[in-house]
Amino acid sequence: MTPSDWLVRLAYELEESHRYRRFKHRVWELLEDPHAPMRPYFDIFMMTVVLVSVFLLLYSVKHQVGPWAGWFEDGVVTLFVIEYLARLWVYDDVHRHVIEAYEKSELVNEPFRASPALWSAIRAKWRYMTTPLAIVDLLAILPSYRPLRILRIFLLFRLFKLFRYAQNIQEFATVFREKRLELFTLFTFLTFILLVGASAIYLFEAREEGGQIDSFFESIYWALVTLSTVGYGDITPNSAEGRLVTMVLIIGGLGVISFFTSIVVSAFQEKLGDVHDRQVATLLQKKKGYVVICGFGRVGEVVAGFLEGDHRDFVVVDDDEARVSEARRRGYLAVRGRAEELGMLRKLGVGRAAGTVLCLTGNDVANVYATLTARQLDSGIQIISRANHHGTLHKLMLAGADHALEPYKIVGLIAGEYVGQPVAFEAIHGIVMGQKDIALETVRVPRGSWLDGRPIGEVPLADFRLILFGVITPLDRESDEVRSAYDLGRLRFQFNPGADFVVVGDDLLLVFGHKYSVLRLRHRLKS
Amino acid sequence: MSAAQPPRKVMVVGTGLVGLVVARQLRERGERVRVVDNDPERVEQARALGFDAERVDLQDDDALRALGIADDLDVLFALLDDDASNVFLVISVRALAPKLRIVSISETEETLQRLYAAGATKVIDPYQISGYKIYELMSRPVIAETLERTVFGRDVDLEIAEIPVPAGSFLDGVPLDELDLGERYDLVVLGVVDRFYGDHLIFATDTRRHRIDADDVLVVIGPRRALERLRGELEKS
Repeated sequence: MTPSDWLVRLAYELEESHRYRRFKHRVWELLEDPHAPMRPYFDIFMMTVVLVSVFLLLYSVKHQVGPWAGWFEDGVVTLFVIEYLARLWVYDDVHRHVIEAYEKSELVNEPFRASPALWSAIRAKWRYMTTPLAIVDLLAILPSYRPLRILRIFLLFRLFKLFRYAQNIQEFATVFREKRLELFTLFTFLTFILLVGASAIYLFEAREEGGQIDSFFESIYWALVTLSTVGYGDITPNSAEGRLVTMVLIIGGLGVISFFTSIVVSAFQEKLGDVHDRQVATLLQKKKGYVVICGFGRVGEVVAGFLEGDHRDFVVVDDDEARVSEARRRGYLAVRGRAEELGMLRKLGVGRAAGTVLCLTGNDVANVYATLTARQLDSGIQIISRANHHGTLHKLMLAGADHALEPYKIVGLIAGEYVGQPVAFEAIHGIVMGQKDIALETVRVPRGSWLDGRPIGEVPLADFRLILFGVITPLDRESDEVRSAYDLGRLRFQFNPGADFVVVGDDLLLVFGHKYSVLRLRHRLKS
Repeated sequence: MSAAQPPRKVMVVGTGLVGLVVARQLRERGERVRVVDNDPERVEQARALGFDAERVDLQDDDALRALGIADDLDVLFALLDDDASNVFLVISVRALAPKLRIVSISETEETLQRLYAAGATKVIDPYQISGYKIYELMSRPVIAETLERTVFGRDVDLEIAEIPVPAGSFLDGVPLDELDLGERYDLVVLGVVDRFYGDHLIFATDTRRHRIDADDVLVVIGPRRALERLRGELEKS
């Protein structure tokens, strides 16, 4: 068997080995997957290792340390080397390159040659090795090589390594990448001013001319110190010409500084939204069954208020900046964006952990679209949507909403009730809308409790100051004690059952009463 | 919760989205509805939908008076598109008809207060109500569905009704907690409104014992036929 044959066989063995792939995937999760549950612990551990090792190296500059410090440093370097190699390993699959090249050669009926396949694999790995983070990793290993003093500067890279483990900071690093055009312009401008200023001062203030500057390097140093408005004053111009140059340079410096500041500030501000969104996404990851409120208008606000009162988790998404900041001001999790976009809903965990989506914007098109998108992402999720115009209701149901509401139609219903019976309306409205202490509540009959299988008349409802509205039972229950029963899908509502009506476990009693009375009844049924 | 009583005279001012929805619902319930608007085009539209529509300059008090709001009307709905117009209308109407029931809607908390201050009897906040309904659908789906299928939905049998107590009827003088309408009529008594003490509901299980007397209003829930039976027997007695 030739080495090439052996290589191909090994490649196929690796491809087919579940254990190998599972192990590699584990390593990848630990090192690269930002969502892996182990990730935060790993990051914190590595950060601690980095900080301790840097501290030790700094301490050893002026102090004598015991041999354990050397062992620790060796351990750290070993860890870094392993980490570096592991990252290199999981970056891509060498055996895939081999298989690909082999299958290609089979296809065109040529003999397989190992070297091009390996070469392409090496090139891929090299691509990884030249990424900034990989270089930082490599350089961070170096400072332990004592004989070369200059290598100590690479200690800084060990600190840069912290970037790798702090995901928020990585966001800021991208600022510089996105603003590279502006920064490049600024840098060109800065170089120009620096060169002009340095040349001018060198001409007027060189030692030979009676000044303090010995070399061109010093004049550049002086120009930068002046330009940045730091102005140490270790080198000062003496001649009138030199001072003139200084003045011009200082004014130019103000321009450069303000330009630089504005670029960085604006870039960071743009980025701040992303950082916030990411934070929201991270917080949501730990939760389950939360509510996604799309649209923070009046309806959204009201719902959020009720959910907050119930201590339920929810996240608000709206594309209006003012509304998003209003939501944040109230301490809600809020993201700015368009809810109808697939990416936005997915980011908020629809299809994964979200339990309910509410589409409540004032725009029917957006509501229908968001409903459709949410249903597409998750067939089991609960969707409740708002229809602003008559006719949208039907479309929302078609798009996959479980419930759809028309605020104006509700006004109509209420108006009708109010016109007919204002007194009853006022009385019941507060109760039904949860605005009074007295509310309509459900109380489940616990299985195996004393009431299970007993007539309802044995519950001293009057003593609890409760009024029985009815009992909700499975569909197949019929009783002579009930004169009016109504079917609700898979359940049946038995209105006003007589005292001899027998309830069993898991039946629901619907009672009107004070919430404390309801709590007392629940408690009594449990005992 | 529909009324089995003679139709009321209702005026809906404003024929925007809300105005038309409300007017339609009221008409379906058998009330006598008139709609009014400032805009001739909208009035035409409303007429095309079969409403008794009129164009009136809403800022002109004489024109409003000519509509007969002071004497020949049960309820007026102020459902114009913007809050400021609604507040203005409510003030004008209240000045002309001090006793009229005026219902309006508001989209914000602030306007709600302002409309009440202007003299509205009832201000409906559609968003507050929608928000609560959505919350209820999520958090208490059983209750939401029960109410929807029995009391608040369309074509349902259960009604929440107000029953005025006639003087000398068999209800007159009975203590509230001894009122046994559940067994006799298949009705659940929620409570009673004693006009003497104001318009709020005295809940049926209130700790203070309340004796029902003439002109009190009972608030009950029950099937339509049971309510009709009770009303019939009260008339006879």
